[in-house]
Amino acid sequence: IETARIFDFKEFPLRDKVTYMYYTGRLEVYNENFSAADHKLSYALSHCNPRKERNIRMILKYLIPVKLSIGILPKTTLLEKYNLTEYNNIVLALRRGDLRLLRCALQEHEDQFLRSGVYLVLEKLELQVYQRLLKKIYIIQKQKDQNKAHQIKLDLIVRALKWLEIDMDVDEVECIMSILIYKNFVKGYFAHKSKVVVLSKQDPFPRLTGKAVNS
Amino acid sequence: DAKKEGKEATQQWEDDWDDDDVNDDFSLQLKRELESNTEKK
Repeated sequence: IETARIFDFKEFPLRDKVTYMYYTGRLEVYNENFSAADHKLSYALSHCNPRKERNIRMILKYLIPVKLSIGILPKTTLLEKYNLTEYNNIVLALRRGDLRLLRCALQEHEDQFLRSGVYLVLEKLELQVYQRLLKKIYIIQKQKDQNKAHQIKLDLIVRALKWLEIDMDVDEVECIMSILIYKNFVKGYFAHKSKVVVLSKQDPFPRLTGKAVNS
Repeated sequence: DAKKEGKEATQQWEDDWDDDDVNDDFSLQLKRELESNTEKK
């Protein structure tokens, strides 16, 4: 209380606001309200003292998983500057559609992510990685045959996953695909009998860009 | 400068990264894998 008089009085509201937004933002992360978390943590980030790197890093530790789950990636320069390189491979996995890399990266930094409480948030990125992988298979097919590209055999997805050392049978892949369709990561439907995913011809892979997924 | 630095952290994000490029190593390997397996069948 004594020391409080030394400071410029005007500073208090903003600082308190930043602190308040940081902690309530973290709560929103736990409650999986990602757009609210994004709003609050971004406020904290843009209003905090830019010289306090430690604080920025603390905010980013939560803001990065939030941004990732709404489809926004941090630039490598940001990760490097604030020594958050544990996210490098996660970002790369999202870009590639590399499910194996995502799982490895989560495992490698498991302790850290569990401690800060973002592990479950990061685990859910799997769906985005599946979407990306499926999109790549689709584009590769399209290069070969424009007309049949929107029909993807489940077999082909099983093979791609096997190549990534992920063992899944056709039924499991079908289950994942139905989740992707249900959550609007993929627009299309199933031909259950012929084991084919038929993609919508219009915008089969809707982007997240800032929107939270309904879960 | 401090202000600029703070701004930097808020601007280091990409929301438009989802491209159709399949010429990276990962995609090329995937392509090879899918095509070689098709031939075997």
